[in-house]
Amino acid sequence: MAPFPQKKSTNPLPPQMKDHLPPGITIVKSDNLEEWQMDIKVLDSNPLYQNETYRLKFTFSNKYPIEPPEVQFIECPPTSDHPRPIPIHPHIYSNGIICLDLLSSAGWSPVQTVESVCMSIQSMLTANSRNERPPGDSDFVSYNRRRPRDINFHYDDDNV
Amino acid sequence: MDQTFDLPDSTDWLPTPLSLVAPLESALRCQVCKDFFDNPVITSCSHTFCSLCIRRCLSTEGKCPACRSSDQELKLRRNWAVQELVEAFQNARPSVIDLARKAAARASATEEAESEEPAPKKRKVEAVDGPAAEGVRTRSQTRGVGSQEDPVAIEVIEDSNDEEYVPEDGLVACPICNRRMKNEAVFRHLDTCTGEPAPPKQLNFGSLQPASQRPKDALNKAPERLPIINYSLLKDNVLRKKLKDLGIPNTGPRPLLQRRHTEWMNLWNANCDSKTPKSKRELLRELDIWERTQGGQAQLSGDVTDTVMRKDFDAAAWSTSHDDDFKRLIANARKKSEAQVRTTIPQENVGTIQATDQLASQTTYQPSSAPVVKHTEAIHAAEDAHCL
Repeated sequence: MAPFPQKKSTNPLPPQMKDHLPPGITIVKSDNLEEWQMDIKVLDSNPLYQNETYRLKFTFSNKYPIEPPEVQFIECPPTSDHPRPIPIHPHIYSNGIICLDLLSSAGWSPVQTVESVCMSIQSMLTANSRNERPPGDSDFVSYNRRRPRDINFHYDDDNV
Repeated sequence: MDQTFDLPDSTDWLPTPLSLVAPLESALRCQVCKDFFDNPVITSCSHTFCSLCIRRCLSTEGKCPACRSSDQELKLRRNWAVQELVEAFQNARPSVIDLARKAAARASATEEAESEEPAPKKRKVEAVDGPAAEGVRTRSQTRGVGSQEDPVAIEVIEDSNDEEYVPEDGLVACPICNRRMKNEAVFRHLDTCTGEPAPPKQLNFGSLQPASQRPKDALNKAPERLPIINYSLLKDNVLRKKLKDLGIPNTGPRPLLQRRHTEWMNLWNANCDSKTPKSKRELLRELDIWERTQGGQAQLSGDVTDTVMRKDFDAAAWSTSHDDDFKRLIANARKKSEAQVRTTIPQENVGTIQATDQLASQTTYQPSSAPVVKHTEAIHAAEDAHCL
């Protein structure tokens, strides 16, 4: 299974692929090769994320997969049909930007897929026990207008 | 399975009784492009990729994408066995998947119709359910567990071995005419191979032997691989001349020249790995596609060497990425005007057009100028402290 823009085709994802995703991962939107949306759930009983579904937005450049996609959480308001909050995590800003090594050009590998990225983020959530945002979250969220790919994260925490 | 469009994937097998073919097909696909291997080559860490895919990866970061160990494109070797596997599998695939789908449809039909006969039904359901349940595995999982793929792969190799006996003489057969020769010679031979079967050995002593002359002629024609250039050693005009000599466009700023040369080298050398090399004209066409999608007309936001704004300039991305700078400029400008100094617009190295545009549009962001400066400083401090 490879939810993944293919090089020789501009076709969207074949329908049969949607039925074979790992547990807790579903495709919301994949009708073009620039932006996909995925819903993920944390499967174990981590109380921070139980019974919640989160939405990820993938933005692909034309150098994908040599270069990483831009991945961030997006929020759907609680009043909508499918409310999607931004998960609380010491490496996820409240605007949905994720500080994760494998999404940087240094940590990325072209063998990664949308599916494998979703699984990494699932496990990043699963492993977390701190109910907090990153330090400096409110300042960053108010004043950051950069896109995730242009931000230079420092990966100082190996415990994620 | 109704297929609205034709995009084969390894998951096609999962709903059929042959769900165990899914990991086999997955193993025959490149982990970078997810397509069937195209001119497969093997790295020194024994991972196989399409020639072009791995060359692009190595020229970007010099590491194997699968295991992150360092490698050089010089060490890549063609993987003929994988190439043959892929070709054989692709040839067999349409009829096999057709058969498998029909079997799946038949199984589900009998399941519904023959509910009165418990014994045969049970057997059929088992046949369908067993492997199907087993088959709900993803590519990434099966990739990691080599032992699960091996038994399947071995079966197929045995099949093909039955049909073609391969003597172990250290030589390889030309895939077209089956003549046996040294591995190094095959590629050159392919340039001239007419597909005629090998002539009987040395029956015509003393007579003309045009066939045996051919490989020597081909020596001259064999495309030579392009060497890697250490760009830092070349001056601009030398690099431009090099591109011109190669027959590719030599215009544009320096970083683009380098990236264009790298892409051309990757395309060219990958073509050298091909059993059926493309013409230079075709490669130039591919380079032109690259030029339009990733080259001169699709620059990164980091490259700000152009002084003239491009037609497809991404104003939104520009304004977001330089928002802090603009805010600071605006703040400075206001301070100056408050101090009754004649207002001048501070210039960035990028020119004033964007800056003035932003002056107009950015004013909505901030009620007063002083806090902005303070907060951007706070953000920079936070960047140092944590992982902004």
